[in-house]
Amino acid sequence: MTKLALQFILLTLILVLAQVIVFNHVCLFNVAVPFAFIYILLRLPVTLSINWVLTIGFFLGLVVDIFSDTQGMNALACTILAALRRSALRLYFPREEDLTDPCPSIHSLGFGIYLKYAVTATLIFCILIFLIASFSLFNPLMLLLRIVCSTLLTTLLLICIDIITPNKA
Amino acid sequence: MRNLLNFIVRYSAWILFIIYVVVSCILLFNSNPYQHHIYLTSANAMSAAVYGATNNVTSYFHLRDINEDLQRRNADLEMEVLALKHQISRYREMAYADTMSVDSAMMRYSFIIATVINNSVNRPFNYITIEKGELDGVKPEMGVVDQNGVVGIVNIVGPHTARVISLLNSHLRLSCKVKGHDQVGSLVWDGKSPSEAILEELPRHAVYAPGDTIVTSGYSTVFPEGVPVGVVRHSMKDHDENFVALRVDLFTDFTTLSTVRLIRDSLKEELMEVEQTID
Repeated sequence: MTKLALQFILLTLILVLAQVIVFNHVCLFNVAVPFAFIYILLRLPVTLSINWVLTIGFFLGLVVDIFSDTQGMNALACTILAALRRSALRLYFPREEDLTDPCPSIHSLGFGIYLKYAVTATLIFCILIFLIASFSLFNPLMLLLRIVCSTLLTTLLLICIDIITPNKA
Repeated sequence: MRNLLNFIVRYSAWILFIIYVVVSCILLFNSNPYQHHIYLTSANAMSAAVYGATNNVTSYFHLRDINEDLQRRNADLEMEVLALKHQISRYREMAYADTMSVDSAMMRYSFIIATVINNSVNRPFNYITIEKGELDGVKPEMGVVDQNGVVGIVNIVGPHTARVISLLNSHLRLSCKVKGHDQVGSLVWDGKSPSEAILEELPRHAVYAPGDTIVTSGYSTVFPEGVPVGVVRHSMKDHDENFVALRVDLFTDFTTLSTVRLIRDSLKEELMEVEQTID
């Protein structure tokens, strides 16, 4: 358990740093933004209490907000994603007790299901982020393009991160 | 009370969720950037440290571009400096011409204002280059003075520039006299110091004292009579017994020449013609 917690702390540190140092400055073709740090929310064990998941989500978003000077934007999107995460997983994998590993990953879910789970979660997050961001400047076509492209890019990134993350805690 | 606790425990997830969302929204809609707390911005010590460390590395990535930008900017600024300098020198010339005292005896002469673009003081034969030429009315053998005194004589004239033989050139001999007296000597530079020259071939009976002013004699068309040259420091032995030599401190500071006046003598042609008919 402690080992798992340590692994998560390390993973969080690496992903948040990667996000604020590298991925925040990436904006492919001016539409696609990668959000690497939400991988932590996707990977949190399904056995973890919802209160913990919400708290981790909120503070994860807040830290990214602090670094990127986006007051509360990521915090709000992460909190909502943390609340919806379990429902998203249940859509594709209804019987959680069948999981070999409490942490959702390609290893424990299989590639197809994990891909669907990742796309759904990423789509939720991207819709939230870009809706919140576009409160002041509304351009529906651009908004849609950004959501779709960022979702694709972020999903690709999440798959890559999942492959290189050690599976057995 | 127990019911309330039960309620809180039962719906803790919802309560927590609502709290987080409300806090996020408060942060999100607090649109006044001056009310943001320092800890919640990237200006706090932690993120500043992270970004500082990152910048230590990433600042090298764009050096080529930055360098190019700086070069371009530098070139732009240099052009601007040149343009401004040009403007300043033009205004300086104008102001210079305004404040020049022209007494009635000088009406025969008029001035051309020129900027010194090259000057040397440390060679045995020094020359000065000025930024005015034939198209501005400069002719060879014009006298050159600055606000303090004699500078030299124009020697080679191009369309836009001219070369002046500096007084600090042993080839130049200038006819001078002690102010207030009529005995004429010849001023020549001995190549020692840019602030000193020697007035030699002055007749033995000439009256002088240290501190007397040396002026041009006006025996040629190059300089009018009475243009200041320097002051007598002390007398020295001349190579001929019948003459004395004087060491002269020059008025003109040749090391800082910037704007000079060229003296145009309107009677020059006439005088030369007359002199030729006499011959």
